[in-house]
Amino acid sequence: MNVDVKMAWRNIWRNPRRSILTMTAIAFACLLLVFMLSFQFGSYDTMINSAVKIHTGHLQVQAEGYQDKRTMRLVVPDPGAIGSILEQTPGIDAYTYRANAFSLVSSEERTYGIVVIGIDPAREANVSTLKKVIRQGSYLSAEDTNQALLGELLAKNLQVGLGDELVMIGQGRDGSVAATVVEVKGTYNSGQDEFDRSSIHIPLKHFQDVYAMRGGVHEVVALGKSLGAIPAIRKAVAGSIENEDPKHVLVVLDWIDLMPGLIEGIKLDLISGLILYCILILVVAFSILNTFLMAVFERTKEFGVMMAIGTTPRRLTKLLLLESIAMTVIGIVVGIIAGCLITWYFQVHGIAISGMSEVVRQFGIPERMYPKLSFLSVTIGPTLVLFITSLTALYPALRVRRLRPVEALASV
Amino acid sequence: MHLQLGWRNIWRNPRRTAVIMIAVVIGVWSMIFMGAFHRGMINQMVQNGIATLTGHIQVHYTGYRDDPAIEKSMAEPEVVQTILEKRVPPGARWTARVRVSAVASNARHSGGVTLVGIDPAREAQVSFIGEAVTQGHYLRPDDEYGIVVGEALVEKFETKLGRKLILMSQDTDREIASRAFRIVGIFRAEMEATEKQFVFVTLTAAQRMLKLEKGISELCIVLPDRHEVNEVADNLRAALPPSKYEVHKWRDLLPLVDAYLSLFDTFIYIWFLVVFIAMGFGIVNTTLMAVFERIREFGLLKALGMKPWWIMRGVLTESFLLLVMGMAAGNIVGLLTIFALSGSGIDLSAFAAGAEWAGISRVIYPVIHAKDVTMANLVVFILGLLVSIYPAAKAARFTPVEALAHT
Amino acid sequence: MTKKLCIVFFLLLLISAGICGSGQAQDPQALVQASFDYYRGKASFATVDMTVHRPDWERVVTIKAWTKGQEESLFRIIAPPKDRDNGTLKKGREMWIFNPKVNRVIKLPPSMMSQSWMGSDFSNNDLAKSDSLIKDYSHSLIGTETHEGMKVYVIKSMPKPEAPVVWGMLELKIREDHIFLSQAFYDEDLQLVKIMTAHDIQMLGDRLFPKVWKMQKADAKDEYTELSYKELAFKDGLPEHLFTTSNLRNPRR
Repeated sequence: MNVDVKMAWRNIWRNPRRSILTMTAIAFACLLLVFMLSFQFGSYDTMINSAVKIHTGHLQVQAEGYQDKRTMRLVVPDPGAIGSILEQTPGIDAYTYRANAFSLVSSEERTYGIVVIGIDPAREANVSTLKKVIRQGSYLSAEDTNQALLGELLAKNLQVGLGDELVMIGQGRDGSVAATVVEVKGTYNSGQDEFDRSSIHIPLKHFQDVYAMRGGVHEVVALGKSLGAIPAIRKAVAGSIENEDPKHVLVVLDWIDLMPGLIEGIKLDLISGLILYCILILVVAFSILNTFLMAVFERTKEFGVMMAIGTTPRRLTKLLLLESIAMTVIGIVVGIIAGCLITWYFQVHGIAISGMSEVVRQFGIPERMYPKLSFLSVTIGPTLVLFITSLTALYPALRVRRLRPVEALASV
Repeated sequence: MHLQLGWRNIWRNPRRTAVIMIAVVIGVWSMIFMGAFHRGMINQMVQNGIATLTGHIQVHYTGYRDDPAIEKSMAEPEVVQTILEKRVPPGARWTARVRVSAVASNARHSGGVTLVGIDPAREAQVSFIGEAVTQGHYLRPDDEYGIVVGEALVEKFETKLGRKLILMSQDTDREIASRAFRIVGIFRAEMEATEKQFVFVTLTAAQRMLKLEKGISELCIVLPDRHEVNEVADNLRAALPPSKYEVHKWRDLLPLVDAYLSLFDTFIYIWFLVVFIAMGFGIVNTTLMAVFERIREFGLLKALGMKPWWIMRGVLTESFLLLVMGMAAGNIVGLLTIFALSGSGIDLSAFAAGAEWAGISRVIYPVIHAKDVTMANLVVFILGLLVSIYPAAKAARFTPVEALAHT
Repeated sequence: MTKKLCIVFFLLLLISAGICGSGQAQDPQALVQASFDYYRGKASFATVDMTVHRPDWERVVTIKAWTKGQEESLFRIIAPPKDRDNGTLKKGREMWIFNPKVNRVIKLPPSMMSQSWMGSDFSNNDLAKSDSLIKDYSHSLIGTETHEGMKVYVIKSMPKPEAPVVWGMLELKIREDHIFLSQAFYDEDLQLVKIMTAHDIQMLGDRLFPKVWKMQKADAKDEYTELSYKELAFKDGLPEHLFTTSNLRNPRR
């Protein structure tokens, strides 16, 4: 071991209490940052995943222009082909088909213009939370034909209950009149009022018959295994789709295209979080600055002696820096380890957030939050800490150069 | 005596004192400022919610909230109004509205909106719309065909001031009611969603269009003090027959804001605690250093017969002075920052879509709340003294022998 | 002095021209009413092929239509077989639709009025407010043209101030024999939104009548809806029970 390193190491342990306190402060900052960032990242993942699970999915394959125009004729004509592409794409967790039609939906009492959504009951259950949010009645089964699920608020507005009939009249893919009578099989409460007020689900097969879809659908909705894999999956899927006819182009949209507000909300939250963390690190930096300063001033006499026997100021600076950095690094390592352990515990067990049920409902955040360790969440905070403490350590380390041996020896 | 001694002691090493004070100042500043920032955010959320047609209390025909259909309107508003006049505290303002969903259309566009018929003079005292018109003018009582719409709606419909907007809805006979309005004013709201959703016409115009006669959909009350809500609402509930009328408080009408509010305190106190812990390490370390530097001194004092308790008190007094000074400076800087920002606010326009999504305003004005400031200072002060007990106790425990042996 | 005389003379000229003009030409209000009466008659019955054309797609529906006076109409699809017996009843400003498969008559809610009628370029409102031309506009003559040797009046129709119509202006072309040639719909910036034109004027029923009517959006040249009359008969009246929801429901009449 280098002499300087050895000396620095010994110096640290000359005043173990102080050094430990300093390192604990650093470790605490790192631990907190690791946990908070993991928590933030985790909450984004949960937020995105639950938002996409209520409706949009991570990825959708649609006919070009469908997202804006929602025209009945802009279909994915052969959903099976897209399905087999998705089957072969690694990283896809589940996928389903949907078709939408703006229709007149009428009960005995009321009539509204609503989007009727055709879903594949079995596949849908793997992709969206629809099955889990059924509050009354039951979810659609594979054999169901003219059965419907609708939002609780819509049921209220239409003044219907389980078993009541609804008439739907709309327009088929071919422009023909589409009409059917369905029976209310279940009502759901997704928590998102807008969705619960304006959507009604029927089995895709029945939808395709009624709306003359000739096997077509409007959306192929896919869920990836992880959020991070989505860009790659998108690329792979887009590459596999053969767009032969330039008039009927299929496009792949991801959750950012499908829900533009969400990513902006996350950016805002991330930035406000980072501001908080910077303030925190600043407080920590000043808290430990004194320790570093003391390491110089307490030892003025010692440095005087060292300089008198020929140690260059450069070497003194190096020594002091080594000392501070060693403490910082130990603190950071301990902080990261402790942070990871704590975060990991909660990653497994989750954190229940009480009093948040409404927020949770509207934003589709589950009531239990799971922090998520990732390379970024573990490194960002400690890197910031390392950077700022090193800056802090620089001041006393440079200060030592101003010492004059004679004065230094004279000091008490 | 103690204070004087302590005061002199902490300035024996001015640099060290300055450094730890900076840590305390930044910590306290961040607590005060962040508290005010978040308080401002949440307050605006509440105020926006209340001003965006919610008010503090609303009275509806029973069942309207579940099913806001035209049939569920109050046919005899004067009955309720007389009760209101007697039961609300002086200084309360209230207004009557017609509120129905409608379809707005012009030559190229059409879309769903909420048609709100208002009494222009009274409404201006209750909700945001009185001061929100940025182009054209606010509704006048005789604006039979005037309509005030949001800027976002104007963009969506590619229209402008002076242009027509046809509104269609269902009247009380369940027939289609349609009426041509001319855009006389364009309003801006905190949320784009508000601008897209609400269109305002005069109460009489809405009543005529929908054949409501005197009927109204809701009465909206704003109290001089938000905290009287429960009392007034109970009072109204007692006076209005529940078979015909339902009374709602703003917390029922804005569940999301309510949830945020309850979450807010928790969040801010956690922040206080976290910042304090970061600061606490510094306080302990610095005080410890100061103590160890003076081991000989303490040993001597002890040898001279000073009680450990006195030494402890001396060290704690030093911490006390340090904390008080840091807190004072932190508070001043914090309050100054808030004061400097209270004019222009903190502009989040760069994240407008994100802010909209999170339901917060585009510009945040920090708000000083006595409770938050007190809490921040209490946390720092009490915990600061608590952690100082450790070095103080250390100082008190030095025996004269070991102290004198220490170099 | 001469200047003053000139002005007086000029004014006189203007007034006389005005008098002569209104004497010779048609009163535009009357002209529009006459044309409306001409093509609707007191009552009528028609069979029409409606073609909805899109760049990549086309669909033809055959419709039977009954009209009576200005406010009542009944439409019933007879082909393609899949859509047979779907019907629409219009009375005043209200509309009902009937679908045989679900066997229900549904009154259209206000939110559906601006939606397209049967996927065509006509909106439900276009149908529901077909008499709006007479009630909601004031008409003025802005010029004349000739068409197949006959005089055509070009009429500018401005909506009355409080009329619930979305258009900023209509421009009508009516031939002197009251045959409707075109109706252009403008927004409030006086930009053309859509235009309906009449073609193939020939004897239909008891009168000259355009066999083909075409509704086209101004900004999409390749999208239009064409109505082609296969059969048209004007009548003195039709029984009132024809225009009821129970008749809408019962197509075997």
